[in-house]
Amino acid sequence: MNLTAVLLVATLAWPLTLLLACTVRPLRARMLPWLPLGALPGLLAALLAERDALFVFGSTRFPLAFAFDRPGAALLGVAALLWLAGGWYAAAYQAESPARGRFAVCWLMTLTGCLGVFVVADMVTLYGLLGLLTVGTTGLVMQEGTARALRAGRIYLSMALLAESLLLAAFVLIVSSAPGNTLLIVDAPAAIVASPWRDAILCLLIAGFGIKSGLVPLHFWIPLAHGAAPVPASALLSGAVVKASVIGLIRFMPLDHSPWLAGALLAAIGLFGALYAVLVGVTQRHPKTVLAYSSVSQMGVIVALIGMGMASGEGSAGLIAAYYAVNHVLSKGALFMAVGVVADTGRRRLWTVLLPAAVLAVGLGGLPLSGGALTKAVAKTLFGDGLAGTLATLSAIGTTVLMVHFLRCLKTFAATGPDDCAERGLRWPWLIMATASLVVPWTLYLMAPQNSLPDAISPYALWASLWPIVVGVVLSWALLRWKRQLPQLPEGDVVVGLAAMGNRVSALAAGLGQQLDAALRRWAIGGTVLLALTAVFAWGLRTLL
Amino acid sequence: MTTSGGPLLVAALLLPLAAMLAAFVLGRAQAPRVVACALPVGLLLALAILADLLCSGEALVYLLGAWQPPLGIALRADGLSAAMLLTTTVVLGVVAWFAWGDFAQPANAPEARQPLMFWVLLPAVWLALNTVFLANDLFTLYVALELLTFAAVPLVCLEGRPETLRAALRYLLFALLGSVLYLLGAVLLYGVYGTLDIAQLSTRVHPGVATWAAAVLMTVGLLAKTALFPLHLWLPPAHAGAPAAASAMLSALVVKGSFFLVIRLWLDVLPGEMMLEAGQWLAGLGAAAILVGNLVALRQRRLKLLIAYSTVAQIGYLFLMFPLAAGLVGMGLSDAPAVTGGLLQAVSHATAKAAMFMAAGLIYSTLGHDRIEDLQGVAQQLPMTVLAFALGGVALVGLPPSGGFMAKWLLLSAALTTGQWWWAAVMVIGGLMTASYVFSVVVRTIVAVDPEKMPKMAVPRYREASVLALAIFSFLLGCVALLPFEVVQVGRLGSVLP
Repeated sequence: MNLTAVLLVATLAWPLTLLLACTVRPLRARMLPWLPLGALPGLLAALLAERDALFVFGSTRFPLAFAFDRPGAALLGVAALLWLAGGWYAAAYQAESPARGRFAVCWLMTLTGCLGVFVVADMVTLYGLLGLLTVGTTGLVMQEGTARALRAGRIYLSMALLAESLLLAAFVLIVSSAPGNTLLIVDAPAAIVASPWRDAILCLLIAGFGIKSGLVPLHFWIPLAHGAAPVPASALLSGAVVKASVIGLIRFMPLDHSPWLAGALLAAIGLFGALYAVLVGVTQRHPKTVLAYSSVSQMGVIVALIGMGMASGEGSAGLIAAYYAVNHVLSKGALFMAVGVVADTGRRRLWTVLLPAAVLAVGLGGLPLSGGALTKAVAKTLFGDGLAGTLATLSAIGTTVLMVHFLRCLKTFAATGPDDCAERGLRWPWLIMATASLVVPWTLYLMAPQNSLPDAISPYALWASLWPIVVGVVLSWALLRWKRQLPQLPEGDVVVGLAAMGNRVSALAAGLGQQLDAALRRWAIGGTVLLALTAVFAWGLRTLL
Repeated sequence: MTTSGGPLLVAALLLPLAAMLAAFVLGRAQAPRVVACALPVGLLLALAILADLLCSGEALVYLLGAWQPPLGIALRADGLSAAMLLTTTVVLGVVAWFAWGDFAQPANAPEARQPLMFWVLLPAVWLALNTVFLANDLFTLYVALELLTFAAVPLVCLEGRPETLRAALRYLLFALLGSVLYLLGAVLLYGVYGTLDIAQLSTRVHPGVATWAAAVLMTVGLLAKTALFPLHLWLPPAHAGAPAAASAMLSALVVKGSFFLVIRLWLDVLPGEMMLEAGQWLAGLGAAAILVGNLVALRQRRLKLLIAYSTVAQIGYLFLMFPLAAGLVGMGLSDAPAVTGGLLQAVSHATAKAAMFMAAGLIYSTLGHDRIEDLQGVAQQLPMTVLAFALGGVALVGLPPSGGFMAKWLLLSAALTTGQWWWAAVMVIGGLMTASYVFSVVVRTIVAVDPEKMPKMAVPRYREASVLALAIFSFLLGCVALLPFEVVQVGRLGSVLP
């Protein structure tokens, strides 16, 4: 057991311990202020643990394995930081809530699942953690107990469970076709390539992780869930939790051996989603919903990056997608926190929040010198200059429009008293995250050997990231003029039709099932069925004659 | 030959018999104590049998009076029996713990029917189940099945309300039909092969009219007793109408008795190559049970009925093991994953379902109803109970580390290895449907309400603890996969292994 093993195990075990402590009522009631501590081992692991480590515990048939790769390390670090700051924020935000014990339980469940996903290396534990993540997230979404929250929670839960069923099927297929039936995720890509069910596995994985990452058209639960959850929970869900699917895609997809079509398809769906979410997002009014749509859009870009990697056989796509995701974790987490801070801040001090928020928001679109500009420059190496590159640039313009729209919505959310000031427990975490989202992408960028500072601040690079912003700002000015003509789309757009259809189908199926059951439970029919079944078996077993 | 551990098997039958008789004779006040003393001893016995089995690596056998079959009667315990013995003892132990206060007799009240009957029937169910697991000839098994039915029927109508009487009568009639079919089949086999002993039959049975007729009749009879869809007409009213402790026994254990005989029949008695075809039929019914049972469960308004319909669906999962085992054998592989998966599913369902029924009982006694739409606030009132219900539900859905997950994983990989992906699809869809009703109940209970509006009916802490203990057992059951040995394969008859 070296330091790395201890840290990786603690990343999972420590929040789990806190969660178990919550089974004791007095501890549960006092857990809220301790929430930030839950993510501490995760952060330490990201900073101190060795990369490319693999530890296997337990039996050989069902091992409990931990691993640490570079994309996982980067994502774990920023996610843990967000969980830490978010825990602090939540402690202040939920301090007065009567259901804070329940909040702490759901928070710790989600935290355990989210950070655990980055360090576990076997499919069974991964599946279990995804389940834990789902249950915890549902609790967080439903925390406020309003009809809106309950509906969002229900829809989230059913989508997440569907995703997990698809993933379970994929995992079993992978394991059955892997040599030696290994459960280790590291061996999955090779097993998928060699499997006779390769296409089925890829479809199941893309659909499963696609639902979890909010890939259009399976994205509709994100605006509902992230809009309904309390602010700190939204920050974590939109920032950190959806990244579980990113790391899943990175680790499972055989990046250098995928069929070209699968990659191209994934990239197309991702980029379509990136643009579609912007179009729907600008019709929304609530800042959190706008941010959620922006998450859908950004996740589309990340998935498209992985798709491009699969199509071109570029092994480094995983790292690039993870880098893009890192920037999104930090910025999106900070922006969600800003919504809560603004709601408590009066007119006079509003600029102290709005200004950094504006930098972060436009940074997502690629403001020069921001993390967004760096990630977009790196992403360009994968997207290239062809159609994909153009679409990616379009999505950057779209993100700028969406973010300007967000800032406009955010302004209307300020507190009514001109001298109001958000409490320290909200302001500090928000400032930490805002600073981190400026500093961390630069650090990571300069740590990679192929990048250098002069490249990043060359006039060409600056211009390449500036012009989409300018176009975006001009477009948003135009949008303001035509605001009246914009349609009012419901939160979660396609969900209305889908939910109606789903309800009808399930009501029909359940109605049929109930009628069948009612008929079978009548004596006359039951007796006949017994005889009929005897006949059926008599015929079915005729080879025994 | 009687093996060295053989006397343990006799003890495993005599102990519940003695407990039943003693409970009946000593009457109301002493009966719970008798049962409470017998169950821990039974647990030790079950563990001893398991340990003996694992050490020797062979089945335990006891020849009554040292008479060889077919003249004498043999008791035999293989890995399957030992696992089921242990499960039965654990579940019954927790049920007794849970029911301690429910059926307590006030000190100086006149003798009441209900408590006495409950404490006599509990060891009776235990005795019947142990006989089912240990007996090794078709006639003793028939007697055990009848004993099981006659112990279970009064449990259904323990409360004596008209609707429970109706449900009990329905159950009785249908179970008797099943028994008659089973007996007919057994008689046919005896007529042709001149023995009822399973070990001897397994070597003698060959295709023919009598074997065919016996297989058909016995299978259908056992399915009727197991309430496999579409023969489940008696199950929902019977299981939902009984008191919680009785429902737990009925749903968790009693249906497993006849299911265990289906395993014996198809894995041990009948020729292995037959199972490929019969397995498809059995699993087809199982799949229909999963789909229809879950669909109907989704529409239930009352918690106990929902759990009862979930049992209808979960019974379906048990039957998926047959074509998978046959498929594995057909490919020249060991059928261990399928059989272990099926058995683990039975054990996992037994523990989870008992916990869920008892949790529903506590909710009922607190709220005075079990309407699902009015369950808000229960989690505030009964946090341990709701946690138990949720953990039991997780085991039903099959999330790690529950036994349900391990069972599902083994069955899924067996299905995909043998190329029978359609059974895998049914399992995944069934799991999704199970998840939606389990979580919709849990979500309702955690909605907070004003504490003033909650009923103040208190539930003793030990009852909540008993339910939670069983649920945790079920939740952590999947960890048995970490053990280095495979219990189920020990002492299997007929050597279907290549």
